[in-house]
Amino acid sequence: MNQTVTVNISGIVFHIEVDAYEELKKYLNKIRSYFKNSEESEEIMADIEARIAELFNEKITSENQVVNTNDVDEVITIMGKPEQYVDEDEEKEQSYSSNQRNYMTAKKLFRNPDERAVGGVASGIAAYFGMATIWMRLFFIIALFVGFGFLLYIILWIVIPEAKTASDKLQMRGDDVNIDSIGKTFKEEADRMSDNFRKTGQQYGKKAEVVVGGFFNLLSQIVQGILKIFGKIFGVILLIVGTFWLVGLVSMLVGSEMVFSITSDGIFSLESSEFFNVIFVSENQFHLAVVGIILSVGLPIVMLIYGGVKLLFNVKTHSGVGVGLFILWVIGLFMCAMVGIKMGTELSQDETIVTKEIISLTDSDFHISASTVDNPGKGILEDNYSVISLDEDSIYQNYVRLYIEESKTDSMELRVIKSSGGKSRKDAVNNAKMISYSYSVTDSSFFLGNYLSVLKEDKIRGQQIKLKLYLPVGKTIYLDKSLKYILYDVDNVTRTRDKKMVNKKWVMLEDGLTCLDCEDLEGVTSVQLDSIKAYKPIIEEINEK
Amino acid sequence: MKIENTKAQMRKGVLEYCILSILENGEAYPSEIIEKLKTGKLIVVEGTLYPLLTRLKNAGLLTYRWEESKSGPPRKYYELTPIGKNFLKELETTWDDLVKAVKLTRRAK
Repeated sequence: MNQTVTVNISGIVFHIEVDAYEELKKYLNKIRSYFKNSEESEEIMADIEARIAELFNEKITSENQVVNTNDVDEVITIMGKPEQYVDEDEEKEQSYSSNQRNYMTAKKLFRNPDERAVGGVASGIAAYFGMATIWMRLFFIIALFVGFGFLLYIILWIVIPEAKTASDKLQMRGDDVNIDSIGKTFKEEADRMSDNFRKTGQQYGKKAEVVVGGFFNLLSQIVQGILKIFGKIFGVILLIVGTFWLVGLVSMLVGSEMVFSITSDGIFSLESSEFFNVIFVSENQFHLAVVGIILSVGLPIVMLIYGGVKLLFNVKTHSGVGVGLFILWVIGLFMCAMVGIKMGTELSQDETIVTKEIISLTDSDFHISASTVDNPGKGILEDNYSVISLDEDSIYQNYVRLYIEESKTDSMELRVIKSSGGKSRKDAVNNAKMISYSYSVTDSSFFLGNYLSVLKEDKIRGQQIKLKLYLPVGKTIYLDKSLKYILYDVDNVTRTRDKKMVNKKWVMLEDGLTCLDCEDLEGVTSVQLDSIKAYKPIIEEINEK
Repeated sequence: MKIENTKAQMRKGVLEYCILSILENGEAYPSEIIEKLKTGKLIVVEGTLYPLLTRLKNAGLLTYRWEESKSGPPRKYYELTPIGKNFLKELETTWDDLVKAVKLTRRAK
């Protein structure tokens, strides 16, 4: 005995077997899903149902009043499956007009085992959103540096299943997914569920049907709404972040007076186009670098903005765009690499020029101080002093370092070492020669410049000034406060740090540089104090001399 | 390239023209139209017709009226509108031109 249900098709009542009913319902739902978004869908469905009713009516005889699966099969054969008669042009027309797909095979998020760098998370997500994997990878790399990337990746790795079977992999690529289609999938799922519940509900009475069906409809609407909102929020975030970065990039390249923070205590306020000019060899190289940076850094930013816009406004994706942008991006990277290699050869050799100053020894303390005036240019600041700066015709750099060591002889000596990089030894020597650095030496004092300068056409080529002071044993020096930024890793018996060494008198003893008036030194440990006290008699002895 | 696809494309191109031609001689309801199209093997499954009719109607080429039926639900009887008639005339000329062109091309072989 077969169970039957009573259905109303186009105003005509039929008795239909449960299996046949399920099949018919599935068939109609399928057609409906094909026409779902076209305005004519209601009318087409009504026409088709009317025809089906007509066909059923022909099958019903006084002996056989129930529609069975055979009848349904026959009707389906006559009417045809929707994929047989929804032609492709129509689909496209409709999807352009409504920005939605008319049908979809559910697309699911999987990790892609065939295209993996780590766990296949990025390529899986990329497949889900129908974009090139490289963008997703780039996103994770950027996210890694921003700080949340690692955790995010691990969580996704755990949460997203791996595409193991062929159908998994098909579903992974599926149809384009946008917010609407995500919502749609959910709605279809919820409809199916509410249908199931409705059927169960029939056994318990109509009330349950209304309540349960209504509940699922409501739930589906709520979730759809939430999904939409999340999508939009994410879109807005992408848009804001992308725009922010784009503004940063553009202003860096255009070089308006932008202020960037580059270190915790440094500020970048150099006009960057000018800055690039003093680095690159030629105008061409400069342009190559700029275009390279725009392409390699700008395109991912553009993709962010594009993604944001897509999420916000459901813009139709053109599949060629991703590939084209990716090729441009690779070209950009290539250009940057070319400039990088060129710059590398430009700095492949290092040469130094040494000037020796022998200072005649007197009994008086030797006073060492440095200029505290900032250089005349405008540029990158650190602690209010310029690291690199420019004026109309010169480049100023504060790469000046003072080393203090024990003299191997009896004389006191200052070596001024100018060094620079260059593409050949000769070039490097030339570059070093072009460094101008001012200092003055007398019998009782040094006055050291705190910056070096080169002409703009000499470019920045790793120029630096090293000052090596060789002190004979017994010589006392006074380190002025102004040396704070110039002193570099000067060894001393108390292992006092450079910045704390200033404003003090020091004497070169056989064990090393020793402080003469360090009792009041703040932050000195008891061990250090003890070692100072141990030296006290020797110091006094020297002072008496 | 599949032969089936090409055949389907060719059939599709003339389908609208044939529907309009069938209605030239007076009104008809979908099943009648389907019968005629099926004898010409222009359509395989009936489902093809309904979206087409609706589209032609919405484009203003067709109009319909309801008529009660003894064998089932009420039927839609379609007929050509004046626009549809003009449309058909133009299609006829185009068709004749096409046939001529095809004949000429084949003879030229």
